[in-house]
Amino acid sequence: MAKLPVSLTINGDEHDLLIEPRKTLLAVLRDTIGLTGTKEGCSTGDCGACTVIVDGKAVTSCMVLGVTASGKEITTIEGLASDGELHPVQQAFIETGGYQCGFCTPGFIMASKALIDENPDRTEEEFRYALGGNICRCTGYTKILEAILQAAEEVRSTS
Amino acid sequence: MSEHSVVGQKVTRVDAVEKVTGAAQYGADVHPAGMLYGKIVRSKQAHANILSIDTSEAEKLPGVRAIITQDDVPSGRRVFATDKVLYLGEPLAAVAATDPDIAEEAAELIKIEYEVLPVVQDVTEAIKPSAPRFHGDDTKDGPNRREISTQIRKLSRDKENDHSDEISKLEAELENYPDEVYYNISAESHSDAGDVEKGFAESDVVVEDTYIIPRVHQTYMEPHVSVASADSSGKITVWASTQGPFAIRSGIAGTLGIPLTQINVIGTTMGGGFGGRFGVIITHIPAVLLSQKTGRPVRVQMTREEEFTDGRPAPGCVIKLKTGATNDGRILAREALAFWDSGSVSGASIGSTIRVRGVYKIPNLKVDAYGVHTNKSGTAAYRAPGAPQAIFAGESQLDEIAERIGMDPVKFRLINMREEGDPVPAGSNEPKVGYKETLEAVADAAGWWDREADENQGWGVAVGDWTNGCGPGGVYVSVHEDGSARIFHGSMDITGTDTAISQIIAEILTVPYESVTIRRGDTDSAPYSTGSGGSVVTFTMGNTAKLAAEDAHRRILELASERLNTNMDDLELKDGAVHVVSAEQPKSISLGELAAYSLSTTGGPIVGKGSFARQASTPALAAQIAKVEVDPGTGRTRVLKLVASQDVGFAINPMAVEGQIEGGTVQGYAWAMMEEMQYDENGNVNPGFVDYRVPTSADLPTVESVIVEVPAPNGPYGAKGVGEPPITPTLATMANAVKDAIGIRITELPIKPEKVVDALKGNGHSA
Ligand code: FES
Ligand code: FES
Repeated sequence: MAKLPVSLTINGDEHDLLIEPRKTLLAVLRDTIGLTGTKEGCSTGDCGACTVIVDGKAVTSCMVLGVTASGKEITTIEGLASDGELHPVQQAFIETGGYQCGFCTPGFIMASKALIDENPDRTEEEFRYALGGNICRCTGYTKILEAILQAAEEVRSTS
Repeated sequence: MSEHSVVGQKVTRVDAVEKVTGAAQYGADVHPAGMLYGKIVRSKQAHANILSIDTSEAEKLPGVRAIITQDDVPSGRRVFATDKVLYLGEPLAAVAATDPDIAEEAAELIKIEYEVLPVVQDVTEAIKPSAPRFHGDDTKDGPNRREISTQIRKLSRDKENDHSDEISKLEAELENYPDEVYYNISAESHSDAGDVEKGFAESDVVVEDTYIIPRVHQTYMEPHVSVASADSSGKITVWASTQGPFAIRSGIAGTLGIPLTQINVIGTTMGGGFGGRFGVIITHIPAVLLSQKTGRPVRVQMTREEEFTDGRPAPGCVIKLKTGATNDGRILAREALAFWDSGSVSGASIGSTIRVRGVYKIPNLKVDAYGVHTNKSGTAAYRAPGAPQAIFAGESQLDEIAERIGMDPVKFRLINMREEGDPVPAGSNEPKVGYKETLEAVADAAGWWDREADENQGWGVAVGDWTNGCGPGGVYVSVHEDGSARIFHGSMDITGTDTAISQIIAEILTVPYESVTIRRGDTDSAPYSTGSGGSVVTFTMGNTAKLAAEDAHRRILELASERLNTNMDDLELKDGAVHVVSAEQPKSISLGELAAYSLSTTGGPIVGKGSFARQASTPALAAQIAKVEVDPGTGRTRVLKLVASQDVGFAINPMAVEGQIEGGTVQGYAWAMMEEMQYDENGNVNPGFVDYRVPTSADLPTVESVIVEVPAPNGPYGAKGVGEPPITPTLATMANAVKDAIGIRITELPIKPEKVVDALKGNGHSA
């Protein structure tokens, strides 16, 4: 299949790539770039494991074609910590035990970060609904909710 | 627990940073150079003869490197179907290509001609003579015919006397049960204690009902995946996302006829398992075969859809249950007849039907269980395999009895619970278990005793029991010159078990938890370890770790006694150093100094070894209470409160234990209210998250967990396996709460809104 030129900014690095139009952003991140932190749980847009942030918005990367992301700024789980410091959302997931097997965790962390960036003042109930696109099979969500609330609090108090 | 400094504490898990930064390597993250992508070609029919498989078009597709069928399995062991398929999604062939999309395209190009056969998906239909048959000699007698036949056999064995009259009478009696010749039976299991007929006769109340529990998928978030690499010497390396690397190694060896030592299985970080990640055929064998054929590493990864059509989910079942009790609340008898849907192969956990016994004194108990073939994939374990189904029936019916005799459901359970020393059917006596403590704890925490309910609201309670397994394992621990300790073992971390092992080692070596690190080896390097399932890890590996640390501890004291010139009995290891007890001149030496010193001794470095296989386990109880509100218009049930208590023996890491309770309870909730794999004559019809809904955070509130600690005599620090019990009572907890809210007993799961609406209209599944 013919390949098309695409330039992506991923975690601050610029990548000029030739990719097949049928490849999803998820496939580009994982197979072409080798950033395997973003997970594939369903490939149909229903589990949120593949969530990354594109131009500030959380998207399920399995539902985006790589070519359509050209020129966009993408942040993946690998790009969240800065200068060796974990992001408050990452820190909160550790402290509350908001992960178990960890497979859903990159997706949850990215979705949580986007939600908190957008509005850290949500109530628990609002976060519950806002996270409804992400599936975790291990935790029962109790500690994930604790994590996002703790991180939102942290962001509120430092901004 | 103040007597311990590391165990019993909420510590950060050893894998914390890698899990929140995306660094953890799961199966699909492994990408050796030159790797090809495999794809399994699957049946598009639920039951059919295979007339032909034509791979010629697919072979021409650029990028295709190999196509294999059963002809390419040198051992002849069945990996792919040849002449017949028994379910939608059954593997027929596999492709390896340079790109995953090419592999998928090639799979689509393979032409398969089918001759479609009749399909049966319902166990109650599959046992009838009219049902299509799957495997040869598979008829079995039902309970009455079995009993009569046993008597006939007994009489015919007695050669001294003439029983021909009795025998012909009995033979005539057999004719009364024509429906009790069951077809398509994959397995059976029976037990009979006391005299149930007598028990029912003496009962004031007898309730009988049929409970239907659907097949559900474990739905671990990481689909099955393996990467296999066969080198030119024949050595095979497999990166496998599995609960049991050693089981996969022997599975590959057995299936393909390869010596064990030629196979190295590297367990990758596991994206959930819940019992469903032990199978060897599913992706590992096709990956190995493709790699052998192409000489390149090959990854075989299932899609979510493939997980639903060809995973190994938990079996559904139909349980007919009858219970008798006295008006003062004593259960006298219980009888169960269960049909488990084992799919196209045997293996459903039919033996778990006995769990209808629960944790109660039931003097008369009879259980007959059958596994039944249908046109579905086979089944596997799912968190306390078989228990949620049986306990759903048992605990639902208990509430019906309680209602009829006018007794509070918690009190009714408390009256009947077994106590320490009570006989249990296996012949032993009940150990000390916190049955009552756990139920009382949840009742107190939930506010059961002064519960209130508005209109359309209801409360439900249920308990479920499970006993952790155990198995062989080995652990090494080394102490290094900086005083740190390094653990080496071969068991897969299952949500925090590596952390628990590290805590135990730190506790015994009296070093900070942070200075202990843990490494898992592959099957080439690590000592044997049992699979991480059956809640075994903390029990087994915890005990193993303790032995290893105690072994190191001995060597440490030996070195210190040499170094400090003191009798070993006068030494004590504390806070990471050995101290001379009651010395006038306080003398001590740190672990780091001892480790450095050890290198120049004749005895050598500090290496502790632990090896363990089994000790008697102690049952654990989970007790749960739900408060719900049912919308009579839409039939929707909203959970207002869900409280879960569990006797965990001892919580080595309370945060991880809470996580297990919360997660297991929500899985139970989902089985009760949402999940169901649906089948028709075409096979599974809901192979994705849109039609097979699993809970999200929006579906239910915070689960409140209550930890109860009644130590297990043989558990490390008294710990019991905690992973499985929490799913066992939730199905009944929810059904009992809905019954309390709407006044109608729903006996068929899941309790979807439409079922509630039907029940309220009077045409539902009411008791
Ligand atoms: S993998 Fe993209 S939503 Fe599931
Ligand atoms: S931690 Fe396992 S799926 Fe969320």
